[in-house]
Amino acid sequence: MERRIVEFIMGMRAAGVRISIAESEDCMKAVRELGIEDRGSFRETLRATLVKDVHDFPKFDELFPLYFGSGGPPMRSPSAGGLDQLRPEDMQALQQAIKQLRNRVQELIQRLLNGEQLSRQELERFAQQAGLQYADTMRDRLWIERRMQQLLGLDKLEQELQQLMRLLEQAGMAEDLREIIRQQVEDNAQAMREQIRQHVGAGLAERQAERYQQRRGSDLMHKPFNRLTEEEAEELRKQVRRLAAQLRSRAALRQRRANDGQIDVRRTMRVNLRYGGVPLELRYRRRHLKPRLVLICDVSTSMRPVAEFMLRLVYELQDQVSKTRSFAFIDTMHEISQDLSTSHASESIQEILYRIPPGHYNTDLGASLATFIHRYFDATDRRTTVIVLGDGRNNYNDPRLDLVDTIRARAKQVIWLTPEPQTMWGTGDSDMHLYAPRCDAVHEVSSLAQLIRAIDRLLV
Amino acid sequence: MDNSTSSVQQALAAQQYIASDQIATVLFLADRLGKPLLIEGPAGVGKTELAKAWSAVTDRELIRLQCYEGLDEAKALYEWEYAKQMLYTQLLRDKLNHVLADAVTLAEAADRLASEEDIFFSERFLLQRPLLKAILNDRPTLLLIDEIDRSDAEFEAFLLEVLSDFQVSIPELGTLQARQQPTVILTSNNTRELSEALKRRCLYLFIDYPTLEEELRIVQLKVPGMAPRLAQQAVELVQRLRKLDLKKAPSVSETLDWARALVLLNAQALDQQVLDQTLTVLLKHEADLQKAQRLLNPRDYGRDMGGRFSRS
Repeated sequence: MERRIVEFIMGMRAAGVRISIAESEDCMKAVRELGIEDRGSFRETLRATLVKDVHDFPKFDELFPLYFGSGGPPMRSPSAGGLDQLRPEDMQALQQAIKQLRNRVQELIQRLLNGEQLSRQELERFAQQAGLQYADTMRDRLWIERRMQQLLGLDKLEQELQQLMRLLEQAGMAEDLREIIRQQVEDNAQAMREQIRQHVGAGLAERQAERYQQRRGSDLMHKPFNRLTEEEAEELRKQVRRLAAQLRSRAALRQRRANDGQIDVRRTMRVNLRYGGVPLELRYRRRHLKPRLVLICDVSTSMRPVAEFMLRLVYELQDQVSKTRSFAFIDTMHEISQDLSTSHASESIQEILYRIPPGHYNTDLGASLATFIHRYFDATDRRTTVIVLGDGRNNYNDPRLDLVDTIRARAKQVIWLTPEPQTMWGTGDSDMHLYAPRCDAVHEVSSLAQLIRAIDRLLV
Repeated sequence: MDNSTSSVQQALAAQQYIASDQIATVLFLADRLGKPLLIEGPAGVGKTELAKAWSAVTDRELIRLQCYEGLDEAKALYEWEYAKQMLYTQLLRDKLNHVLADAVTLAEAADRLASEEDIFFSERFLLQRPLLKAILNDRPTLLLIDEIDRSDAEFEAFLLEVLSDFQVSIPELGTLQARQQPTVILTSNNTRELSEALKRRCLYLFIDYPTLEEELRIVQLKVPGMAPRLAQQAVELVQRLRKLDLKKAPSVSETLDWARALVLLNAQALDQQVLDQTLTVLLKHEADLQKAQRLLNPRDYGRDMGGRFSRS
């Protein structure tokens, strides 16, 4: 059992839940206390010791039955199914009828009537034949299940069962007896399907856990966004929350340490009471200057991966910035603040990217900036940091450099984040070399590590 | 259900706390393993209440540390009671003079004073704050650290140190070891992410809003004077309200307040007048109230929706 629990923990880690060694140790201790007889309390035991975040509960709920499944409901024995009501001659008629069915299904129906479950070896053999060892993700689950059912003949069962009923009717078997046989076969078939389902699910979860261990070596943080596979991107998305938490606590600490030079008389007096009122320790007023952000994101095709991660980070960091207004553009400016302030990060970001679909060569930053100034200029004031996230590739449209100057005159600073290295600026339709000198800072962000560093610098 | 956990459930029920299987199992484990327990969940589902009930069940003295932004060691752990020290020095001046009278040199007087300084830095002048109190308590103790998510990240780190070995070092006194290991319960409303390190050390329990049956049982237990039919109606309404997209969903404690209000007003049924009078007990935001009114009076619904559409 301990082995199974360890495998389960590995599976949970692969699904992105962080579980430390100390926690798995706690888990073992707790299991020893409460035992495994009661499934409900066993489940609670694992969850209370391993999963410390309510957002991870769904993953736990998904994986738990895969690892600790009952192996499907038990099948009904012939006597429990009422088959002992059949007289010997009925049995003979039944055997005769079965022989007339398709080869593949004969054995299956025999099994189901007897309530014989698939053994572990059999399950593994069929899974092997169905190609479980080549499957990668949970998405393959249905397909493999269906393959296994085909191999066993379960897919033809319904048809053949009807045939069997007809044959038995012709042989003159009473209706209630036929009904008993039919019920027995159908219920046990259901149990067998469940058994297969759990076996495939558990097998896939284990394979996923193995692959996760192999993959951890590569460092995704430094891999450029445009070279991420969909799977790696998924992995990174999971990381973003954790990184944001780090970033947040670091920023909070820095804010706390930052003084603005004014002595806080009240707190100083209180602290120094213990020195008889002699001010030995000074207390300063805290600077509560959280940055106010205006985020302008290019969400055209080339920029999507970066924009998505940027939006995710900003979403996670909302409590560290006093006010964020976010805008997205391709050919014109859309405000997306509302979307980010509600619901769940993933959903709202998908929603935004869906609402502003990418087109072909239609990026127009100049026009978008004009819209921004026309409609949303009230978002900027002298405390606002304006961040433009884009590659400056403008499709040979008017770059409207004057508008960048206008924004910069009003805002505290204008920072540009671009995924392209400096050598690429000014090539083709890039206007980056023109924009760059007009900004307070330009950072290259082509990987998550760089993106995080750039944001960290904002949160002083 | 295990014998051991069902006995936990019964004991809690005796303290007027209705615990689900999940709650009972986790509490039992926390007690057995001697681990701190972190309870999360929406505000007002009875997290603090659970800690209180548990302290009564286990016959432990409850010491509560309410967290807030800016809470620091001095307010959580200990502080020297300066005023008392001063007062004692003043009152003992004669005695001090007497002790120091026959010292010839200044150095000798200082040495002699130094040998007596233990008096002024003894536990007598130590102002014990909740954490130290819990550690030094002779009786079994339950330390409730309430709303840990409101404190700062630094305080959390400091707390880790205390929770891991239950000892405190005070420079003037040395290290003070716990006389008994307190049971620790932390609660959080999930307003910010707690550090991984803290979570790792705790068992985790998430308490969500109760189901209709559970909430009904709670109401019947806590507000015995309420007619069963009215209680049923009231709880059903609360459950429906929670499904709305409200600024603040009504909590269990608010359900209880409301139930008590209904009993006090001698309400027989939930009619429009009663609702108008009492709904503010349940919902504390004007916008939420309006939404609830729309739910209860579908007649006005169309007009309001129209208004919303034309605005956007």
